[in-house]
Amino acid sequence: MAELNRLNQAILEGDAKTAAAVTREALDGGVDPVVLIQKHMVPAMDEVGRLYEAEEYFVPELLLAARAMKASLELLRPLLAASGAEPAGRVVIGTVKGDLHDIGKNLVGSMLEGGGFEVIDLGADVAPDKFIEAIQTRGARIVCLSALLTVTMPSMKKTIEALKEAGVRDQVKVLVGGAPVTPQFAEEIGADGYGETANAAVALARRFSGV
Amino acid sequence: MQESRARVVAAIEKRPGPVPVDFGSTAVTGVHVSVVAALREHFGLAKAPVKVHEPLQMLGWLDEDLKRAMGVDVEGAFRAKNGFGFANEGWKEWSFNGLDVLVPGQFNTTVDTNGDILLYPEGDLQAAPSGRMPRGFHFFDAIIRQNHFDPEDLDPEDNCEEFQAISERDLEYLERETARAEATGRFVIANFGGTSFGDIARVPATHMKDPRGIRDVTEWYISLRSRRDYVHAVFERECEVGIANLERIHERVGARVGALMVCGTDFGTQTSAFCSKATFDELWLPYYRRVCEWVHENTNWKCFKHSCGSVDRFIPSFIEAGFDILNPVQCSAAGMEAEHLKREYGGRIVFWGGGVDTQHTLPFGTPAEVREQVLSRCEVFGRDGGFVFNSIHNIQAGTPVANVVAMLDAVREFNGRS
Repeated sequence: MAELNRLNQAILEGDAKTAAAVTREALDGGVDPVVLIQKHMVPAMDEVGRLYEAEEYFVPELLLAARAMKASLELLRPLLAASGAEPAGRVVIGTVKGDLHDIGKNLVGSMLEGGGFEVIDLGADVAPDKFIEAIQTRGARIVCLSALLTVTMPSMKKTIEALKEAGVRDQVKVLVGGAPVTPQFAEEIGADGYGETANAAVALARRFSGV
Repeated sequence: MQESRARVVAAIEKRPGPVPVDFGSTAVTGVHVSVVAALREHFGLAKAPVKVHEPLQMLGWLDEDLKRAMGVDVEGAFRAKNGFGFANEGWKEWSFNGLDVLVPGQFNTTVDTNGDILLYPEGDLQAAPSGRMPRGFHFFDAIIRQNHFDPEDLDPEDNCEEFQAISERDLEYLERETARAEATGRFVIANFGGTSFGDIARVPATHMKDPRGIRDVTEWYISLRSRRDYVHAVFERECEVGIANLERIHERVGARVGALMVCGTDFGTQTSAFCSKATFDELWLPYYRRVCEWVHENTNWKCFKHSCGSVDRFIPSFIEAGFDILNPVQCSAAGMEAEHLKREYGGRIVFWGGGVDTQHTLPFGTPAEVREQVLSRCEVFGRDGGFVFNSIHNIQAGTPVANVVAMLDAVREFNGRS
């Protein structure tokens, strides 16, 4: 276990090389990938989120930690798929139509992945039908919509309306976030939740998934 | 119009008086071209397509008649080439979301399979596009063109390609441009560039055909933590070249300029910060201090710093660095309440912005709500001078012209009262 704690430390320090090396060693030693995720990756990313909330970590540290986490997850993902292990939940995430900004969306996506969720990242400038497709064909049950720009906030409303028209709105929970977005706006457009920070988004996703 | 300059100088010197107004003097105090067109119509000005003088954000040029109608007191002096590396000349018509505008001759675009509009560095259609405007939307964003690099073999020189000694041709241009700006009688802000120090809008180098070094936004942010020596080396070079260029520019333009737009690097997010204060103090403060010291020792210019977001924690360091002016004063971000900022820092820095919230009130509020907020902000920030009115960052596309007019009327109302 002491050796495996190096994975937690590598993620906290944003050391992708060590994170991948420890993961490889652990897998070679027969450690269950689910254990690596649940006992090491998730607590490490929770701690990263806590440090961000406490303003000990900032955007660069978050991005580095996410990169280290992903270096490990890349090695685990094929094994998880082969074993049929279920994630904490399936999330589809994207920056809404017209908005090309993706740093905030990427951070939320990484924190969700680090929280044990399967994340389908559609990128930026995502049309509503792409979200609908991810719900219908890939089983996403949480939809995360991001916007940085005031002028693209209406795309969030349009996306939720499109989900209704496609008959999939009741199958999913919709979370919204981004600089200009407020809880009031989230309520007005019929979202199920608003995440002020990446951590808040993970907490909401966990609540919606019953994790 | 000499009154305009005197009004701004008085505000900067923190003398009580009417609140001066800025719109259009920089790329962060501007107005989207569609709103400029709507304002021209509202004021009954001559119908003519508006010039897009800042293509990335599609900011519209405010002609003299509109500046007068809006009561603008500040004039921008801009460098020869815009953010896509071509000159604002040889204007041609271009249709944009149903609006006819004028764009520079080298504003060359193509449309991709999604219907997005692509814009090219130096207007060169043979180069990879460096800007993308999603179909039906309002401005461009940088396309990230990150060449493969070996993390173990990074050379800071690659990120310094854009820091070059200013050419004689560009010096001559700036002489003419600052003379034009000064002749308006307004207070002149110089947008000479060259000291952007990691401004994330500049990192992707939309003006360059094949930028080398770290040009990906995420990679740059990561580098602030993991490759600090590299970033220091880039900033050191930028600082040396930047000050050397300012020396040569100052010899030519002298006192025509009132303030220098030094840097637009954002340090605040909506609720927090991009980096710690300790990181700022180590990585930015020394370079900012050198630039501001040179300006204060050698010119009568004031130093203008733009940073969006929640920057309360950084303001003491901005002041320590020598910045005289803070913009855009994002009161909608955490810890940026107007009363707090004025009380804590009002005696030491000029607030240039903060006049009305462009995330909520100006685009989505009623004219009455706009008026109320503007009067309140003028009351707080304008106390004992030290305030130049501007919205919090550029006025965005889709903002109702009635709200913009309510904003301008409210400033006049405030100035009439006092």
